[in-house]
Amino acid sequence: MSDLKHNKEQLLVIGIGNIGRGDDGLGWKMADIISEMELDKVSVEYRYQLQVEDAHLVSEFPIVVFVDASKEKLPGGFSWQPCKPGDHYFYSSHLQSPETVLYLAETLFSKKPEAYILAIEGENWDLGECLSEIGDKYFQKASAFFIPHIKNLQTNTQPIQMQSFAHT
Amino acid sequence: MTRKITIDPVTRVEGHGRVTIHLDEYGQVKDSFFHIVEFRGFERFIQGHPYWEAPVLVQRLCGICPVSHHLAAAKAIDQIVGIDPKDLSATATKLRRLMHFGQLFQSHALHFFYLASPDLLFGVDAPAEKRNVIAVAAEHRELAIQGITMRKFGQEIIKAVAGKKIHGILAVPGGVHKTFSEAERDYFLDGKNIENIDTMIAWSQAMVAFMRDYHEKHHKFLDEFAAFPSGHLGMVGPDGAMEMYDGKLRAIDFEGKRTLDDISTDLYQDYFAEGVAQWSYMKFPYLKSLGRENGWNRVGPLARINVCDYIPTPLAEKARQDFIAFTGRKINNSTMFSHWARLIEVLHSAEVIKDLLHDPEIFGTDLVRKGERRSKGIGIIEAPRGTLTHHYEVDEKGMITKCNLIVSTTHNNDAMNTAVKWVANNVISRKGHITDGMLNQVEVAIRAYDPCLSCATQAMGKMPLKAELYNHKGELIDERFKA
Repeated sequence: MSDLKHNKEQLLVIGIGNIGRGDDGLGWKMADIISEMELDKVSVEYRYQLQVEDAHLVSEFPIVVFVDASKEKLPGGFSWQPCKPGDHYFYSSHLQSPETVLYLAETLFSKKPEAYILAIEGENWDLGECLSEIGDKYFQKASAFFIPHIKNLQTNTQPIQMQSFAHT
Repeated sequence: MTRKITIDPVTRVEGHGRVTIHLDEYGQVKDSFFHIVEFRGFERFIQGHPYWEAPVLVQRLCGICPVSHHLAAAKAIDQIVGIDPKDLSATATKLRRLMHFGQLFQSHALHFFYLASPDLLFGVDAPAEKRNVIAVAAEHRELAIQGITMRKFGQEIIKAVAGKKIHGILAVPGGVHKTFSEAERDYFLDGKNIENIDTMIAWSQAMVAFMRDYHEKHHKFLDEFAAFPSGHLGMVGPDGAMEMYDGKLRAIDFEGKRTLDDISTDLYQDYFAEGVAQWSYMKFPYLKSLGRENGWNRVGPLARINVCDYIPTPLAEKARQDFIAFTGRKINNSTMFSHWARLIEVLHSAEVIKDLLHDPEIFGTDLVRKGERRSKGIGIIEAPRGTLTHHYEVDEKGMITKCNLIVSTTHNNDAMNTAVKWVANNVISRKGHITDGMLNQVEVAIRAYDPCLSCATQAMGKMPLKAELYNHKGELIDERFKA
């Protein structure tokens, strides 16, 4: 039953992607690692794509981190960026951007969570569950940046301060 | 000059479709086609896999209706392990039904709120930037919140029984792998964490009332738009009740005369054949007895309302009676009434979910049954979009040697093409120019069938958007993109 309820007081991590399509599984792999840490303050969700109703989910958390693979070249192999609400609309019912989900959370539920996107550069998007060499390399780098911050949450009694997650 | 208009793809449907409309030199519609041009291959590449993998693998056909494929495949694989639907334990049957109605509820809610409501709330001629769920959220906040909450409720049901909202696993050969707990049941009843099932029923009733009122106000348009006679196919229970999970197949013609008289789903091959067309990857199923031209049927909510004798939950049955009384016709051949029928099924699904949540057998521990191995299994269910068939054959080692899928949207292939022709003839023909509103009306006609083209073609890959206009020489003279 616990998996139907979230710890809504702190941080939500949403891994986005498809583990059946090579490096598109980068977001889920990060979600796996964080999920295995079983942190009280962190909830983890998995998505193939973001959907409209995810606006309700993110509206229940003060802080949200979207973790997704990137086809674009990223300096150092990954990027950490704040994410703001935006009203771009994609035609499909089952594919929305993080910005749109945040826009809907604000419009419908009057909630504006502090949000970030952790994008990890990938290379191979073919069928198969293995990460490419490049994808794995950048995953390790992104983990080395992100996981220590998440680990610190366990012992830190202060509210989470995501602004301190500096990545250059 | 003959011109050809292409809408490629049709937006707000699940997958990639393309419409071409051919005009003659006088601007009159000569012909039209609804093309499906995506790759199709699931039936082939599942061959060689062990039978028990099928209910898991086929979920990858689609991210929208994986539950339907999971359950249809599971019913087929049950037969391969020697278990017919009547042999399944009561707990397994009821948990599968709970998952199925959770899927029907969330899928129909998605279609109404995200796909259909922009056309209904803003009009088919509204600017394209208004015809989306973002605009609905901005201008109809409460409706949008209800839509999101209802979809979430259905997905939470699926997650509770299957572990995940998408591509979760409940069914195993001969049963289910987990039972339900009282804590899980209470989650949907106590309203502490999410709106409870009684609220879902109340909102569903309000949606049905909204749609009835909408029909009152737009009677002429909704009665006439893309209306055409056709056959209707759906599943019914032993006494003619609407049945979604397991029953007999019934088809009727446009006036209600039986063309398929409550046959066992195991016999579908004796009665159905599948045609192909050079211009589409989607097949064209039809009744052999009536032939390719006349034997096709609509499937889905409107067809199910038409073929059943009654709906076995009280509020939905009352809504069905009202639906029939509204037009004074038992059989409804108006495409736009599909939305109303779909909402009646939302209400029915909510009522069934409530009944199942109060049924102590969902907590049972008799989960899996075993029988004598067979070489063939056929599973047919009523998916949100209509009758869905999974058929597998296996060798002595249990490896799949044959797979045939007849997906709901393929049954509606002819119906969608006929609807497109109606719009082409009545809206575009002889107008001398093409507006965005006209093109949207083509899409409105298709969207009423809630097609899932990913399922129908077992598509892979990305789905770009494009519209093209050709002259009588086949020369491209205009094009539109939607992305």
